[in-house]
Amino acid sequence: MGEPAYTVASDSETTGEEKTLPLPEIAIGIDIGTSQCSVAVWNGSQVELLKNKRNQKLMKSFVTFKDESPSGGVTSQFSHEHEMLSGDTIFNMKRLIGRVDTDPVVHASKNLPFLVQTLDIGVRPFIAALVNNVWRSTTPEEVLAMFLVELRLMTESHLKRPIRNVVLTVPVSFSRFQLTRLERACAMAGLHVLRLMPEPTAVALLYGQQQQKASQETMGSGSEKIALIFNMGAGYCDVAVTATAGGVSQIKALAGNTIGGEDLLQNMMRHLIPDSENIFKRHGVEEIKSMALLRVATQDAIHQLSTQTSVQVDVDLGDGVKICKVVDRAEFEEVNKEVFEKCESLIIQCLHDAKVDVEDVNDVIVVGGCSYIPRVKNLVSKICKVTEVYKGINPLEGAVCGAAMEGAVASGIIDPFGNLDLLTIQATPLAIGIRADGNKFVPVIPRNTTMPARKDLLFTTIHDNQTEALILVYEGEGKKAEENHLLGYFKIMGIPTAPKGVPEINVCMDIDAANVLRVLAGVVMPGSRTPAVPVMEVRMPMVDDGHGWCAEALNRTYGATMDLVTLKKA
Amino acid sequence: MNASSLTSSLSISNSKQLPQLSSKQQRSCQVHFKTISCRATKLVEETKNGSNFYKMLSVNPKNATMEEIKRSYRSMALQYHPDVCHDPSMKEESTKIFVRLNAAYETLSNPMLREQYDSELGLKNNMMNMNNIVNQEIWRSRWQEQVVELKKRSSKRMGQKGSRMRTQNMKDRN
Repeated sequence: MGEPAYTVASDSETTGEEKTLPLPEIAIGIDIGTSQCSVAVWNGSQVELLKNKRNQKLMKSFVTFKDESPSGGVTSQFSHEHEMLSGDTIFNMKRLIGRVDTDPVVHASKNLPFLVQTLDIGVRPFIAALVNNVWRSTTPEEVLAMFLVELRLMTESHLKRPIRNVVLTVPVSFSRFQLTRLERACAMAGLHVLRLMPEPTAVALLYGQQQQKASQETMGSGSEKIALIFNMGAGYCDVAVTATAGGVSQIKALAGNTIGGEDLLQNMMRHLIPDSENIFKRHGVEEIKSMALLRVATQDAIHQLSTQTSVQVDVDLGDGVKICKVVDRAEFEEVNKEVFEKCESLIIQCLHDAKVDVEDVNDVIVVGGCSYIPRVKNLVSKICKVTEVYKGINPLEGAVCGAAMEGAVASGIIDPFGNLDLLTIQATPLAIGIRADGNKFVPVIPRNTTMPARKDLLFTTIHDNQTEALILVYEGEGKKAEENHLLGYFKIMGIPTAPKGVPEINVCMDIDAANVLRVLAGVVMPGSRTPAVPVMEVRMPMVDDGHGWCAEALNRTYGATMDLVTLKKA
Repeated sequence: MNASSLTSSLSISNSKQLPQLSSKQQRSCQVHFKTISCRATKLVEETKNGSNFYKMLSVNPKNATMEEIKRSYRSMALQYHPDVCHDPSMKEESTKIFVRLNAAYETLSNPMLREQYDSELGLKNNMMNMNNIVNQEIWRSRWQEQVVELKKRSSKRMGQKGSRMRTQNMKDRN
């Protein structure tokens, strides 16, 4: 094949891409899963999932570093899965991307069979693959980019045209900082992100299309249908409540968390070998091998427990450590009780945020790899009080099909049969606000606000003659500022001298349809109708690695000298 | 989006046209504070232009049902949402239209907010009939309640300046 050679750009290179490029092509949909990936595209009449040369629609998400040429799960395959776990293979990139080394998710990744080193100071973790007995450093972005290059080449040879625009599905709980890292990985692979879609909203789009089709066929009135979508993969769990009619899906609420199959797996591994973390601490070649054996055996057992009630785990980890144990389903469910409880509370929270009663939910859609686990299916049906879940969507393909459809819609493709007269009205998964009123997080755009959105809020000074104010922009759900992700900060200067509480500082936040966030801040003195100083407009996020430090450093340097409080105006 | 658009929103929120609405914010929780604050801005904006949420959604203010409001919102979203607008030069405009459309929908699809909005609209239209006068009376009594509660709360925890401003505003009203 005369495929052009694409190389991964350096991580330090800036993207500099504008989102308003003319659209020369149909954007493809990519579902980058923690464990598996897939690509789909609108082929002119329907969505088609693309297969690699081994005829797989779902490809394992990993990159193996062997000698000089790394290879990913699109092109390579192992004769046995253990090989993937010999220290030279990096996976779970989606769990690690955009996280700092104080993040519990990074800590939980330390017993993966490659190197995840943390120094707990709020910088990116050190990640490395073992190549010829040398730990070679890499980053989650770089690994993802290598994988995406393979996906891109596969798609290009399939469609016989260059690929540039993509719609990517993302977990609901991803911070804007993580989203930019993901866009960065795409840029490194030569791909331009047209849209980032929270996974359950991609499923919602597909559901909306199916409902639209059904109502056309039955000449029905197309009355509004409410669906709850529960998506649990290897790395993340997401819930969405959507109201659909006439091809328009309005996302009423989103909820997400970093829990997934990986947690089930790690809990089971700890259950089988309680001090496994100590045994594998040294990360030598032998430890990695044992770790890998335990991982594969546990994974197999969990898979089998989806269809049978008990399973025999029989594995020799070497160095005198052997497991020979019968594990039953009840045991598995007990070990993972907390994970399942978290799933339940996510669903309850999402229904509550959507202001939807369980009785009003028409369809319950359960997707993602974990949807095959009986306990997961049961807990969703139980909370939603249904006996049957929706059958029309393939649990492993729903998200990528929705993404491909969004790709076609966003590329301006028109289908003569009206199959693309679709729209998903998105909502913000996390609140965005600033630090004010002491150390509080004051949301300006609350969670589950319809996008595009523009909201503003008034603040004022806390000191007499305060001429400067620091705007610290955070994203998240924590009540205290530092419990959230810092997206950026800037200073308003030249506030006219006045007693405290007089200057009005208007902080306006704007999210456009491409999910670009801009923060505007202006100062108005009472009685005046024009801003006292030029308005500041800042695109967020602006902080990069080490952002955990920025807030602390600012606090140390400035204390409360430039603080604001919300202005309670009558 | 540019500085001038913020300027206009700044000056609007600076004007004191709808004190009832703002004081309502303080009684409700933090989250409500923001949504309503924005709505107040929009309301002034729309009524100034001789338009209102009903006109925007092309529904009858007197008897539009929830189903009609939803249907109209959806069909207009399919026309004006920036995702379905493929002319890059129109993106910003369609974003603005959709944000307004959404504000209209959020108010009219919530029975409580719609009722409030209806009475505010009544006030705006120079008390054209008895209904509006009655509405205004309702507003006045609600307003009084809020003033009492606000006084209680402000004496408890607010900075002196904030409460002074509110007192000033109450004087303006009376």
